[in-house]
Amino acid sequence: MSALSLSLSGGGMRHVAGWSHRLGTVAVTLLGLLTLTFFIGRVMPLDPVLSIVGSDADQSTYQQVYLQLGLDRPLYVQFGYYLRDLLHGDLGMALLTGNPVTTDIARVFPATIELATVAIILGTFAGVPLGVFAATHRGRLGDQIVRVLSLFGYSVPIFWFGMMGLIIFYAWLGWAGGAGRVDLAYDGLVQSRSGILLIDAAMAGEWDVFRSVIKHITLPACILGLHSMAYISRMTRSFMLAQLSQEYIITARVKGLSERQVIWGHAFRNILVQLLTIVALAYGGLLEGAVLIETVFAWPGFGSYLTSSLMLGDMNAVMGCVLLVGLIFVTLNLLADALYQVFDPRTR
Amino acid sequence: MKMPKLLGTCAIALSLMAMPALAKTPDDQLIVGISMTNLLSLDPAGATGNDVVEINANLYDGLVELDPVDTSKILPGLAESWTIAPDGKSISFKIRSGVKFHTGNPLTAEDAAWSLHRVLKLNLALASPWKSYGFTAQNVEQNIRATDPTTLVITLPEPTDPRMVIYTLGTSVSGNVLDRKKVMEHEKDGDLGRVWLTTNAAGSGPFVLNEWRAKDVLMMTRFDGYWRGQAKMRRVIMRNMTESQTLRLMIERGDIDIATGMSVPDIEAMKKNPNAVVQAVKRGNIYYVAMSVKDSKFADKRVRQAIRSLIDYDGINTTVMPNYGILHQRPVQMGLPATLPNPGYKLDVAGAKKLLAEAGQPNGFKTTIRVLSDPPFINIATNLQSTLAQAGIQAEVLPGTGNQVYGAMRDRNFEIIVGRGGGGAEPHPHSSLRALVYNPDNRDEAKLTNFQGWRTSFISPEINALIEKAEVEKDAKKQIEMYQEIQKLYDSQVGAIIPVSQMVDTVVMGKDIRGYVGHPAATTRLREVTKQR
Repeated sequence: MSALSLSLSGGGMRHVAGWSHRLGTVAVTLLGLLTLTFFIGRVMPLDPVLSIVGSDADQSTYQQVYLQLGLDRPLYVQFGYYLRDLLHGDLGMALLTGNPVTTDIARVFPATIELATVAIILGTFAGVPLGVFAATHRGRLGDQIVRVLSLFGYSVPIFWFGMMGLIIFYAWLGWAGGAGRVDLAYDGLVQSRSGILLIDAAMAGEWDVFRSVIKHITLPACILGLHSMAYISRMTRSFMLAQLSQEYIITARVKGLSERQVIWGHAFRNILVQLLTIVALAYGGLLEGAVLIETVFAWPGFGSYLTSSLMLGDMNAVMGCVLLVGLIFVTLNLLADALYQVFDPRTR
Repeated sequence: MKMPKLLGTCAIALSLMAMPALAKTPDDQLIVGISMTNLLSLDPAGATGNDVVEINANLYDGLVELDPVDTSKILPGLAESWTIAPDGKSISFKIRSGVKFHTGNPLTAEDAAWSLHRVLKLNLALASPWKSYGFTAQNVEQNIRATDPTTLVITLPEPTDPRMVIYTLGTSVSGNVLDRKKVMEHEKDGDLGRVWLTTNAAGSGPFVLNEWRAKDVLMMTRFDGYWRGQAKMRRVIMRNMTESQTLRLMIERGDIDIATGMSVPDIEAMKKNPNAVVQAVKRGNIYYVAMSVKDSKFADKRVRQAIRSLIDYDGINTTVMPNYGILHQRPVQMGLPATLPNPGYKLDVAGAKKLLAEAGQPNGFKTTIRVLSDPPFINIATNLQSTLAQAGIQAEVLPGTGNQVYGAMRDRNFEIIVGRGGGGAEPHPHSSLRALVYNPDNRDEAKLTNFQGWRTSFISPEINALIEKAEVEKDAKKQIEMYQEIQKLYDSQVGAIIPVSQMVDTVVMGKDIRGYVGHPAATTRLREVTKQR
């Protein structure tokens, strides 16, 4: 009994130590990311003061704003102030909008979450079965079709898909909504609670708005989903092929298990962990910003916010966005690690 | 990014013939697609860029307006009338009675005076023209006064043409009258409401700002108590759209009414669309090739003259500039009584080679051209690069953002720049000359960064003196002669900024839109816009 307690306590300690180590790594990673972004941002040949005052402002106006932004201080002092404010939850003010960066991110990020989540659901639900199908029909017509489809989805510029999608499904057929998250007539009708319009419209019982949101989100989400599907199906195929050549699969077949049981019950189960990782990374990529799709569809999301901020030298906004991207990837990695432990007993 | 754009354009060109307009915007709402990339602040003291000028022209009123068709015609605004003192040293405005702000507060001459004081005290971007007239944060209260609730008196601290001041009031949003009480309710740390006004408005204009979500959407609803009578449209919605092809599809489908900032291929396509109307709006800004006289090569007048002969004016204006600009070779904007006809510069490689040989550069030299990476700037630069090469000048094109290109120019750290500028909002030669030619102090430490003449280090005491003299000349005929003399001198002295084209902005709208008249100063008013269906 006491030996068992000791063992449990030792395991718990190891568990705590493991997570402490992970969190420490996360903190160091984020600090490194911020440091790098800050100093690269400051040496970039972009002048935030000119973005604010315009290129025709006189020197006294320029100097006044330069001082207001604290750009006269040494870089390490500026960074120190930034970190101090950050620890108080203040990411500073964005030049682009005149709002606190946290307010801006809280506004634009849900738009991206909404789009990316719908896209990754579509991409995963289409990509995984297609990948499994291709692997189980290796070298046959079905496999070739899936591979060509994947190659097409992965290599054709997403911008082109966006434009063609708009031409066919919006301009010709009128099935899709045009640019923006919702028809302008409905804009502002629903009170923003979560920032995710599908949820807000449903909660408010505004079903016309909900339908309009669906009409607007479907096309960009499908295009992003196609891109994710291409990646996920290729990786699924590759993981499945590796599993299907393992001896335990032969054993399972020799035992007389049905093909369905062999594929889904044994091979697929063993690739789940790897699949989770790539789906998480694909989702992270979408959250980081589908800039081109956001541009084509005038989607007021995170990617276009980050890009515009970068072009203006709005470093508070850029740092806030980079921090968020870093957090997304770190969180998704931690989540994937945690799920590894759920699905793979060897990692416990 | 470029390749996909090309593919997209080709795809549209091939497949979008005779597309029917399938949807329609609401009859009483005007939907406008614009790029909000440079829309940073709505504050009339600090707003820069044409888009914000147009927005503010509809949220606020100014004392006067300039006729969009004939900008030399000054129309009454909040000022019913105005009088210039016989000595030209002050202007008295009679403010309209009974005007109310959106809050219901009455608008008085005090508000008008306070709004201008605020511009000088905050010293943001739009203080610049006022400072050039001699106003400072210290003297503004003394020189801009409300003598009673309906009288505003502006006393000019320095000799200036009072018409220029009135033109500035009619073209710059710094002349907008703010609801002082409302703004001061939101003052923080003595900022005179600067932070609040970045995303809010406190005016008396035909529309009330409902919401502005940066880089997304801006909504305005008509102000029922507007003193001129209600605007025709109940609501104006401006949506951020940076992609030209998306704008084109949406206007073809009838989902937006007006599109600005479209690319030339899309504009050309829309010209053929029977459901669309394309309106070209001439602006006062000028596209130019500028040289830094600080660079020893360009300090030689003959080299500048050679560069002037190596610009393919006709080629650039016929192939690159349609929908962007019109051939113009004077530093004063076209259409003014003082503007001389173009001197007729042409591409003359042989003449340029001769000049270079005389200047001791028979084999040319190496140089750089800084330029914005967007059309038409980059196209002008590549055209220039090829014609310079014909005379042995090897120019490396350095594309960048506006921030990078004009930042280098402000630092006097460039050799050649293809750029755009020249004030020109006010229909007065001084507006362009002040921006492009005038350079009263050529020292680096003078840092006259708002004068593009200073940025090029080109200085002509003779021209400077004439500009100063012409500005205060009361005899209109003599003044015109002086301005013409300045243009001739600039031509003979080979100024460092060589005008190539005068800017044109192109707006595309649905054929049912009526009453939209693009303003050369960007103060386009939407109160009379209707839809005829």
